[in-house]
Amino acid sequence: MRRKQPTPPPAGPGPAPDPDTVIRLSSLNRVFASDPPVHALRDVDLTVRRGEHLSIIGPSGSGKSTLLNTLGLLDRPTSGSYWLDGVLTNTLGDLERTALRGSRIGFVFQSFHLLPYRTVDENVMLAEVYRAPRPGRERATRAERARQALARVGLGHRFGFLPGRLSGGERQRVAIARALMGDPALLLCDEPTGNLDSENTESVLALFDRLRSQGMTLLVITHDDAVSACASRRVRIHDGRLSQECA
Amino acid sequence: MTVRTHGTSPSRPAGGQRPRAPRHGGRRGRGDRPWTDPRDLWSESLAGVLARPVRSVLTTLGTVLGIGTLVITIGVASTAANQIVGRFDALTATSVSVVAPTPPPGSLDPPLVRWTDVEAVRRLAGVESAAALSDSQNTSNVQVKANDVVAPGTVNGQTLAVVAADPALPTAVRGTVTTGRFFDTGDIGRHERVAVLGYQAARLLGIADVRDAPAVFFNGQSFTVVGILGGFRREQRLSASVILPPTTAADRMGLKQVTRVLVNTSLGAAAQVARQAPIALAPGHEERLTVLAPPDLSRARKGVEGDVNGLFLVLGLVSLVVGTIGIANVTLVTVMERVGEIGLRRALGASRRQVAAQFLAESTTIGLLGGVVGATLGVVVVVSVAGVKQWTPVLDLRLALGAPVTGALVGLLAGLYPSLRAARMEPVDALRAPS
Repeated sequence: MRRKQPTPPPAGPGPAPDPDTVIRLSSLNRVFASDPPVHALRDVDLTVRRGEHLSIIGPSGSGKSTLLNTLGLLDRPTSGSYWLDGVLTNTLGDLERTALRGSRIGFVFQSFHLLPYRTVDENVMLAEVYRAPRPGRERATRAERARQALARVGLGHRFGFLPGRLSGGERQRVAIARALMGDPALLLCDEPTGNLDSENTESVLALFDRLRSQGMTLLVITHDDAVSACASRRVRIHDGRLSQECA
Repeated sequence: MTVRTHGTSPSRPAGGQRPRAPRHGGRRGRGDRPWTDPRDLWSESLAGVLARPVRSVLTTLGTVLGIGTLVITIGVASTAANQIVGRFDALTATSVSVVAPTPPPGSLDPPLVRWTDVEAVRRLAGVESAAALSDSQNTSNVQVKANDVVAPGTVNGQTLAVVAADPALPTAVRGTVTTGRFFDTGDIGRHERVAVLGYQAARLLGIADVRDAPAVFFNGQSFTVVGILGGFRREQRLSASVILPPTTAADRMGLKQVTRVLVNTSLGAAAQVARQAPIALAPGHEERLTVLAPPDLSRARKGVEGDVNGLFLVLGLVSLVVGTIGIANVTLVTVMERVGEIGLRRALGASRRQVAAQFLAESTTIGLLGGVVGATLGVVVVVSVAGVKQWTPVLDLRLALGAPVTGALVGLLAGLYPSLRAARMEPVDALRAPS
């Protein structure tokens, strides 16, 4: 899914990141107005390059969820700037953030968030419902592309199944197929193996490796060291501060 | 807004190439705006409705009842009204009576309507037959006997009315002389003591045949029965009366005054004849005559519909309100149950408006479903009722088509608040809910 494009000259120093930077956070703060105020993110700086597999690990209460929500454009930072795929998101309105979220970010949740009453392929196709058709991505070919996305996660044989008939690992792979369907710049995974047993965890991690080798950018937030060990780069979050770890 | 996006990157060289601009065919396009194909909105909401089929069916019940009641009420009312108006058949619609006031006893004024004045009515356009009739209080309860011999201890004879009429009476009441003949102008001219009995009067008196010239006795006099009149289709009360020629009645019973003129008109002429007949009968005194004309048919139909409708319309509207609340309630519950789904849709790029649109479409679909089922049931009931009663079902097409639309509107109304709640949810909170 990586697009081959002539790489333009780097933008140089300054706020605008170069095109191979999917995420750039600089001096990001998120303070929840309560009494006393909760400083969930403190001066977070983070850059994620295209094709990277980054894991963010931290215990609960470390600001992990806030970081995920901010990265997923579900929450707004209090200060600092967030560039997503070349777009500065801080100043965007609600509608634009929604559209950007739908077009650039593929979410993978711990609890899968599959609609139980829709078949696997309908769940995958849901990713395109809120997006305008583009050349090569017309409504008529949607089912075919959903089938391809399912095949890509190794579930081509589950076409037409209801999620309830799949194992946990298969369900998570359906959710990943749905995230891939939107052709995102970034796969944002929140504890993707949190609800899976070790065998299913293996299958999902193997899929992450395969996607990474195909050039997909992965950002996995987890508290599981085994999951984070698969990443090419690891970042630890503690008390709202990020600290780099060696890969 | 996109301009603002560009504007916030001061370091970007003017006219500089957007690094990934070609990716989605430009970020200015509608690809950057939340967008839904109406077909997707429809299929998503239909899937939402069908996901919980039992609940959806139960939810429609209120609307089904409301719409059904409305359709049945209006349909049965219009059918019944049509039927009742249908009973005002040609006979009723063409019958006009003119009633002349009875002069006070001892009055020396000339009679308001004379027997010969009926001829003027017969000449009116639209009049098919007319006959004058005379009755009075004194002659409405006369002891009539078929035998003059008084047997001690037995009461023979019947209390009957004695009236006078002109020879056109059989035609005017659309009856037939079943036995014998009616008196004619010769009888009238000769002041003959003849009488014609109404068929019930004949039966009461035990007279079945007039070949032997039976006699009836009343007021101390005898009269020869020349015929029996039956088959009355108006003025049924004359069937239990003794009918005398006007001259005879004037001489012997004091029935001098024409009290009633029966007019039969051609179809559609009743109203006009009702206006003209009093003038023809008593020029200059027409206001003293009372005209009994058939009611206006269209007014009668509306009256009947209005009578039947009121209560049941209220009932139907109440059910509809209850149905609306039911849909609102269930949709709200559904929204609360699908918080996770709402969060997912927001994560997939659905705007608040699109989330609201989906739940609105779902409640509208449920309302529409209720409207269609309710209208169908209503039409079936109306047709069945009409079939059982052997009536002609009358259904306004606007009603049959408007009922589902009403149902959809009810659903739309009911979905407003729940969909607003769904739209207001913050995706962060919504995603935390279990899917």
